[in-house]
Amino acid sequence: MAAGGQAIVATVLVIIHGLVAVALLGAITHQTLSTWASARARPGSFFGRFRTVPSGAFTNAIIVLYLVTATLGAVVYLYFRVDIRPTLEQAGRWQVLGFFDLKEHFIAIGLALLPAYWVCWHQPRDEKLTQTRTALTSILAFIVWWGFLAGHVTNNIMGFGA
Amino acid sequence: MMCRPAFRRFAFAFGTAFAVFYVLALAKNLALFTVYPSFGVVVWGTHLARDVVDPALGFVAPAMYWYGWAATAALGALGVGLVAVVMPEQWARWIWLGWLWVAPASAMLGCIYLTLPWFRLNL
Repeated sequence: MAAGGQAIVATVLVIIHGLVAVALLGAITHQTLSTWASARARPGSFFGRFRTVPSGAFTNAIIVLYLVTATLGAVVYLYFRVDIRPTLEQAGRWQVLGFFDLKEHFIAIGLALLPAYWVCWHQPRDEKLTQTRTALTSILAFIVWWGFLAGHVTNNIMGFGA
Repeated sequence: MMCRPAFRRFAFAFGTAFAVFYVLALAKNLALFTVYPSFGVVVWGTHLARDVVDPALGFVAPAMYWYGWAATAALGALGVGLVAVVMPEQWARWIWLGWLWVAPASAMLGCIYLTLPWFRLNL
């Protein structure tokens, strides 16, 4: 494929990657906040309405969105390594590269947690899993937020301190 | 929907072990394979770019290890997961559930520690 064609493919993939990531961000944030929000929240209040949405309903969607986002990211990463990263290295953007490396590591760790996360949310009556469910959901939320922000900053690097 | 106890044991062991193996693979640079995206080549094991081209031309053949590290960790975690499946249920009850989130959280801190050199580089 010609370089121009490759650039178009990479751009389209990055945009889709970003859009799916936004959906994932919304779902995981909602689920995480609902696990942390007090069950005695006043009815009709913001958190009260938050709690009325069954958080477990997000689980399968979050897993599918995470898998799609990670797969698209893994494909786009090939373009990034060849075309973008050398430029960032030459420009001395080491901190950005460090944050981006951490994103890769965190995403991989999160990917492996998905089966356990699924199990925790599909056994809601198991009291012993409550703490683990909250912790796993929070870790995944942290990973998704980190990945989103690191990817966003890298994607818009020309506008940061340029 | 409920899941089978064997799958539950596998899932918990896999997630925990992956985090540990991943940070080890990263620390020791143990990639199951190396990807050279410029050439569209994948080679077994950890290959450094300087083994392929002159160090001054390293940017021509950037090596990618992330896929290989993840594969190494997945392979190790798969082994641990399978052991957990055949493990007697009574033994599994003795294992603290907290490892499922303590191990990934610690592995993430390990990744931060291993990435710190990037933040110390200057122009």
